[in-house]
Amino acid sequence: MINANLKSTYAADERVLNNRYKQMFVYGMALLLAVFGAFANDYLILIACKMGLLLIAVVGINVLTGYTGLVSLGHAAFVAIGAYSVTIFQNVTAGFIPDPVMIFFAVPFAVFLAAFIGVIVGLPSLRVKGLYLAVATLAANFIVIFLIEQDLFAPWTGGMVGLTTNAPNIFGWILDSKREMFGLIALVGFVTLLMAQNLIRTRIGRAFIAIRDRDYSAEILGISLLKYKLMSFSISAAFCGLSGALFAYFYARILPEQFELDLSLELVAALIVGGMGRTMGPVFGVIIIVMVPEVIKITFGALTGDAAGMAQLRAPLQEIAFGALLVFFLLKEPLGINQIVDRMLRAANRWPFARG
Amino acid sequence: MKLNRRSFLASSAAATAVMGTPMILKAQPSEYVVASSLPLTGPFATAGQLVSPALKMFEAIVNEDGGIGGVPIRTTIEDSGYVPATALANYQRALATEPNMVMYYGDSTGFMKLVAPELKGDNATLMGSTSFASDLANPAENPYQYLPGPSYEDQVDILLQNIKDAGGSTVAFIFSNTEFGRDPIEHGKKKAEELGIKVVLEEATKAQGADIPTHVTKLAQSGAEHCILQGYVTGVWPQLIGGARQFGLPTQFHGTFWGMEKLIADRVTAEAGPFLDGYSGVMPYRYSYDQEEAPAYQRYAAFQKKAFAGTPLENYMPTWGLQSLVSLNLGIEALRRVANKGEEITADRAAEELAGIKDFDTGGFFGGPVSMVDNKIGTGRVYTYKADSGLFVPSSDWFTV
Repeated sequence: MINANLKSTYAADERVLNNRYKQMFVYGMALLLAVFGAFANDYLILIACKMGLLLIAVVGINVLTGYTGLVSLGHAAFVAIGAYSVTIFQNVTAGFIPDPVMIFFAVPFAVFLAAFIGVIVGLPSLRVKGLYLAVATLAANFIVIFLIEQDLFAPWTGGMVGLTTNAPNIFGWILDSKREMFGLIALVGFVTLLMAQNLIRTRIGRAFIAIRDRDYSAEILGISLLKYKLMSFSISAAFCGLSGALFAYFYARILPEQFELDLSLELVAALIVGGMGRTMGPVFGVIIIVMVPEVIKITFGALTGDAAGMAQLRAPLQEIAFGALLVFFLLKEPLGINQIVDRMLRAANRWPFARG
Repeated sequence: MKLNRRSFLASSAAATAVMGTPMILKAQPSEYVVASSLPLTGPFATAGQLVSPALKMFEAIVNEDGGIGGVPIRTTIEDSGYVPATALANYQRALATEPNMVMYYGDSTGFMKLVAPELKGDNATLMGSTSFASDLANPAENPYQYLPGPSYEDQVDILLQNIKDAGGSTVAFIFSNTEFGRDPIEHGKKKAEELGIKVVLEEATKAQGADIPTHVTKLAQSGAEHCILQGYVTGVWPQLIGGARQFGLPTQFHGTFWGMEKLIADRVTAEAGPFLDGYSGVMPYRYSYDQEEAPAYQRYAAFQKKAFAGTPLENYMPTWGLQSLVSLNLGIEALRRVANKGEEITADRAAEELAGIKDFDTGGFFGGPVSMVDNKIGTGRVYTYKADSGLFVPSSDWFTV
């Protein structure tokens, strides 16, 4: 923004929300979410919850891929670790830890476990880059799902048949409706975004960006690749673990097949569509990835009615339309929706002196 | 009009009556919705695409018969791609957007298990499905879900009993490495032991694109006289049998409901020869061409001829379609019983009526009148495929387990 943005102190410059537009936007969005939670119908709440869950994981991928420049195609594994570990932790410690405070132990446990495994999965990143790293991380997804499905661990993980999860209990308040869960997911999603925005302003975040832009140069500048690449993996895995923990609370049951390669690809696709390395990128990406299939479904449904033949035709057409839309976005704006929004805001800000 | 105490009271009463009217009307909606999730894309798309017209036929026929207590029904179909989470999203979408939904039809064991813990309070709906998973017949824990026939465990029991009766002494279990494939295996092993049949091979395969030569070699090494196949729909099972025949194995193959479709057997026979001849398996229902003692089938056949001319459904209803029709018919019967008693339709009341179905005449789907026991109907018969006629013919009497 080029006007009305004078910073006269260092403190003002250091703020996360360092200009009035950002402040207005963030507070406005918080208000909008609160109003939405109170008045939206069940269907919208459901969609918003799905977006929130995906958003937290995409913010995680953004730390790794968007800020640090490391590609991962295995992050669904960390969502799975978060979901399973929070449930297993609750099942194993039930009776030792009182229910009203369980969530305050279970969720951090899931997040830390995901972060720890993130460090292990991140080890190959010290040797390989780009596509090779993508393939190496892909293995993480398969290994984690394979282990969850094994009969050996079935007493804890439920094996192929999955695990019934628990509703979160916050000091006796049981969040057993989708609307209550929306409150929790929206709050956590909001905080996650602010954390990611703050992260890139810190020494760690700047190190990530330096590695992304040229890792040799970063190393010459004194940035330890070992430390920061693994840190990036663990932070990103932690966000995905958090998303998984909420996922387990949101759905009444979790199955291994919910965390397969499809989910990993969806996370990356959302990030690419939204805009890599931008705070709001995951938000736009998730809106597109979740909303567009719904809109296509509703539009096709309205156009074709309930006829059975149409339902058959509609299903593959929806997938084709969605695929075509993604290709269109990538061709028209490879930097993601965030870039389009930026351009529009810039134009509005400079109007009538310049456009775009 | 002058406002005094009397006119004020009269106007208030009239206003209350007007405001209260919608509440009364709400009890009798203009339509009831039977929503469904089917695999219209993905690995089981063939099945989903054949079942979806059957749902529309079901809607038309139920409405011809007066719907539910005089209120017509409307069916909706959403694609799940055979992904449980997508089916769950479809169900939740239907819950949020269809206030008059009285029944849901799901499409996989995975979905039914995923949704089961959600069926509580306002989120509960009477729910049939394409699955015969044994866990779903558990009215104590989940009264809303039911099976329109015997569970996979029951079906394997029937097959093992049949193998025993034929003097068989060894059996191999080959199954897809999915919930669907693994469902009856543990139980089947126990049952085989009880019957004195030795289980010589337990082999998990991929649900699609399995490594046929490896599995056939293992089967040959095991020397099994009989082999039970579980967890396949359109693929793998015909290739396994074909591979075994090429290998020269004399093993007799048996399948459960999802491996008993005539359309698949006919296609395999047309493309690769008559090697499925003699393949047998459990079918809970009559095949659609066996119409003599099945008035319901005759009615469907007349409808199909008219509505589905030029499609594979013109002269034949696949087993998968029959299963859906039975499941939906049982659900509608329960809902009608609630409506006929003049009560409001709720999931709990529908589940109670469903559990109380006794000696019910389904119009010929089953061998005789059937009863819901533990939310399933444990009846079936063994059929054998004849490659020359392209028909599955009965090779046992109706079993009840």
